[in-house]
Amino acid sequence: MADIQITTQEALTQQVFAGLMWALSYPGQAYPLPDDGLSAFSAIGETLVDLETSYFTPHAGLDRYLSQLGGRSKSPNEALYQFYPTLDKSDLANLRHAPTGSYLVPDESATLVIGAAIGAGRGLRLSGPGIQGENDISIGDLPLEFWALRAQMRAYPLGWDIFLVGNDRVLGLPRTTHVEVL
Amino acid sequence: MDNTKETMSNIEKTLSDAEETPSDDLSIVNPKTPLSALAHPHKDYSYAFLDEFAKREIRRRILKAIAIPGYQVPYASREMPMARGWGTGGLQVTLSLVGPGDIVKVIDQGDDDSVNAANLRRFIARMAGVKTTANPLEATLIQSRHRIPEERLREGQALILQVPVPEPLRHIEPSMAKTREMHADADYALMWLVLYEQLVRYGEFVTGASYPVIVNERYLMSPSPIPRWDTPMLHQAAHLTILSAGREKRLYAVPPYTDVHPLEFDDVYFQVESQADRVCRLTGARQKFMNEIPQPDGGSLFSLSDTGYAGKLLKRLQDQDVVIGETYYDENGGFYHAGYLKS
Repeated sequence: MADIQITTQEALTQQVFAGLMWALSYPGQAYPLPDDGLSAFSAIGETLVDLETSYFTPHAGLDRYLSQLGGRSKSPNEALYQFYPTLDKSDLANLRHAPTGSYLVPDESATLVIGAAIGAGRGLRLSGPGIQGENDISIGDLPLEFWALRAQMRAYPLGWDIFLVGNDRVLGLPRTTHVEVL
Repeated sequence: MDNTKETMSNIEKTLSDAEETPSDDLSIVNPKTPLSALAHPHKDYSYAFLDEFAKREIRRRILKAIAIPGYQVPYASREMPMARGWGTGGLQVTLSLVGPGDIVKVIDQGDDDSVNAANLRRFIARMAGVKTTANPLEATLIQSRHRIPEERLREGQALILQVPVPEPLRHIEPSMAKTREMHADADYALMWLVLYEQLVRYGEFVTGASYPVIVNERYLMSPSPIPRWDTPMLHQAAHLTILSAGREKRLYAVPPYTDVHPLEFDDVYFQVESQADRVCRLTGARQKFMNEIPQPDGGSLFSLSDTGYAGKLLKRLQDQDVVIGETYYDENGGFYHAGYLKS
């Protein structure tokens, strides 16, 4: 019988994907990632990005890393996987044009991976699929305008799917989640 | 020759440039590293059979499916070592999710021991080195053909349903280009018409398995050929459901705590198959989904379709220690979300 072993890389992407999948299934609940900091972003890149995908990141080091995975570097108005280890007001101009999909193919929309502080900062009230009733969370290190922009760009079934990464934890905000800034 | 020399010097220049580039704190591969150092040690198979490239694609598609509940996401659907139509869609999803710590349950029409279920389970266990179980309370991943366990699933469990025909509009509109437009417009008038015609002709809804549902108040979805009895179990469920059709190359999902409503009229309601007056011949259970066993005298006997649940009831009858979870339907046939099923 074949000797089945899991390589370090296979174990890493399996764990990262489990974190992403459960984070998106239960929005507002943080799930662990096997790496933290910038390595969490590169691990998510390794799990999702390859020569079939386009990506964008303003971070030079991460950009070089992602290009090695075979992904096509594209402008923020085209890239389907976008990585922002930090997001400030100046990034919002780029983000405004990130694809939200079309009614025929709503899945051709941007997945945003954004660095943020989970469990500290501005209070948010989440509701929608994956949440029983409402879920109050705190998210910091993001400009207030980001939430207004997300609400503006969200026209279900169109919208962005967002992963917030804080150290070694990930929190999902699919397009279905309604976010009320408290 | 000149050209080759030029190319060589270009390569050398690129290499020396790369060396000067600081690598930040991410591990960027040094172009001078020999290929052998980058390769993994030889393995006969990738972990969980699918290679990383295949898994990445399915994983990306699964994330989009969860984000757009009920929307059918196309995926590549790799060749598997079994024929399409035998659960390759569910299998590819299971193999993309599974990790060494998972515990896997596979059922076919509620049965843990049917040929299809046994083969899939053995393959998954062999390729991923995971434990298997018949107990839905213990399992982290449950791959199923056409049934949902009677015991309630909980948060953090993933139910993976094998799907033959993912398109609920297939029988009324054969063109996939047109059904895609109909989903884009949320134009499901023809589906309502089908149900209305059933009422006019037969006096009741005669669609049995794959009863069409609206997910998150937007997409019409085929819940795979689960009986109507199982359809309400998808509504506001604690667990994640992923549905995958390998032959048709489509996958879709129902996230936890999501509204799933069967199509019904204001004055004629969706009904589950009545299990009243049916008693399991082995366990004496009532008000659970039963298999009908025709008898020579024209009558019928019944046995529980969910063999994992039946096994637990038998153990309890023999006074063995067994933990039986709460079920979706109580002993009187009442569904656990009160008021969801109208009468």
